[in-house]
Parts: sequence; structure tokens; C-alpha cells
Amino acid sequence: MRIVDSTVLPRAHLRVVLLLLLRAGSSHGYDLLEETRRLGMRTAEAAGVYRTLRALELDNCVTSWWEPSQSGPARRTYAITPAGEFALAEGIQELDGLRRSLNRLLARYRDMDRDG
Amino acid sequence: MPDVSPPKSAALRAMYWRSEILQVMYWLQGEGLGDVVDAPLLERFLGVDASNGVTYLDRLVVEGYLIRQGEWYALSDTGMAEGATEFAMAFSDLTRPAHGECSDDCWCHASVEEAEACLAGRQHDHHHDGHDH
Repeated sequence: MRIVDSTVLPRAHLRVVLLLLLRAGSSHGYDLLEETRRLGMRTAEAAGVYRTLRALELDNCVTSWWEPSQSGPARRTYAITPAGEFALAEGIQELDGLRRSLNRLLARYRDMDRDG
Repeated sequence: MPDVSPPKSAALRAMYWRSEILQVMYWLQGEGLGDVVDAPLLERFLGVDASNGVTYLDRLVVEGYLIRQGEWYALSDTGMAEGATEFAMAFSDLTRPAHGECSDDCWCHASVEEAEACLAGRQHDHHHDGHDH
């Protein structure tokens, strides 16, 4: 049996993770990538963050603007919108539902284990 | 992109990929994630098949937007300016404020292109009502 690293957050949750991070304050792509990895999505790539941010922006969940830099090219700053707050709340609700389902499944397994 | 499909016409498709490629390269540079791209990297970012990606990259070299360095491609000064404009235009309809919503952190302060677009929009929309910005 293949053992997977169960502490890695699946990439399917990248949308929720990015919205959650942006809820804490506006940020840049690179910083969001680093924070995403720190939150447990260790396999996250810049490409995924870029594509997800653009999809979120097309859905009006995120807004962005250029922030001029003295030392180099301008950076894109991203912020959550009210629609993004709503999408985040929905995403968290879905995750909560998933957590409850997983807890039920684990409890059933443990019950079987205990009962022999 | 998940919700956007490339156009069917070859000419429009070339323009579409030009815009997408320049935007992603401009973004990467701004984030400090790299000054050059190759076709496999484009595939990861944009979903364009690497064999097609090379064709679009080479076309951008001919058009003066990119500089080829072996298998890698870098933005020229023209490509850099175009990338910024394309990125600003791609979301201008989403980020443009409605009348009376403009504030100190308005999108139009972010770049010359966006300021010009905002000014043009305001002149068109609010020519007579003294919209102060």
C-alpha cells in the first residue's frame, strides 16, 4: 500500500486557502505562495497560485492592482472582495461538512477496531 | 485559465496567447519568481501545450516582445511595457470603480496606463457632473 503524506493539504483547497490568507490582509503572489505552503499545501506551485488568483479575480472574489517598486518591476497586490468573503464562508462550510463526514468514518473504524 | 477558452480564429488566438504570455511573464518578474520562461513552464501556468507554446514564444521574439536565450525567453523593454498594459486591461472592467467610488487607493493610481484609462472613462462618463477624484 502506498503511504501518502497525510499532512499535505490537497491542492483542490487552494481557492479557499488563498481567500483565507487574503481575508487577513492584502498580499502579493509570492507571499501568498509561501503562506500557502506554510498552511500545509506544501506542493503548491507559483503556477497554481497564479491561475487560481486569476480565476478568483474573474469571479469577482479578488481584486488586484499594481504596486510600484523603487527597486524593480511593479508587483500585483491582491485583496479579497465582499463576494470573496461570501465564497470563503461557503468554502469553509463545505470543509466543515467534509470534516464531520471524515470524523464519522473514523469513528466507525475505531468502533470496529475496539469491538474486535 | 479555467473559465476562458482561446478563440477559434488563428489571428485572434495569436493575440490571445500574446496577451496571456506577456501577462504571466510580467507577473513572474514582479514577484521575483523569474525573468525567463520556457515552453514547459508556460504549459504549467497557462495550460498551453508546450509544442504550441514554443510557436507562440518564437512569434513574440519576431514581434520584438521577447528575447530568446537558447531555450529560454525574456521580456524585452517593449514586452515589459505591453505586459503591464495587458494585465491592466484584462481586469479593468472588474476593478474600475463606479461613479463616486474612486478613492486614494483607487486602481487608477497603480500605473500610468490605468490612470489614462480611468481619465478617459471619467471624461466619457462624467463629462458634465464635476466628478472629483
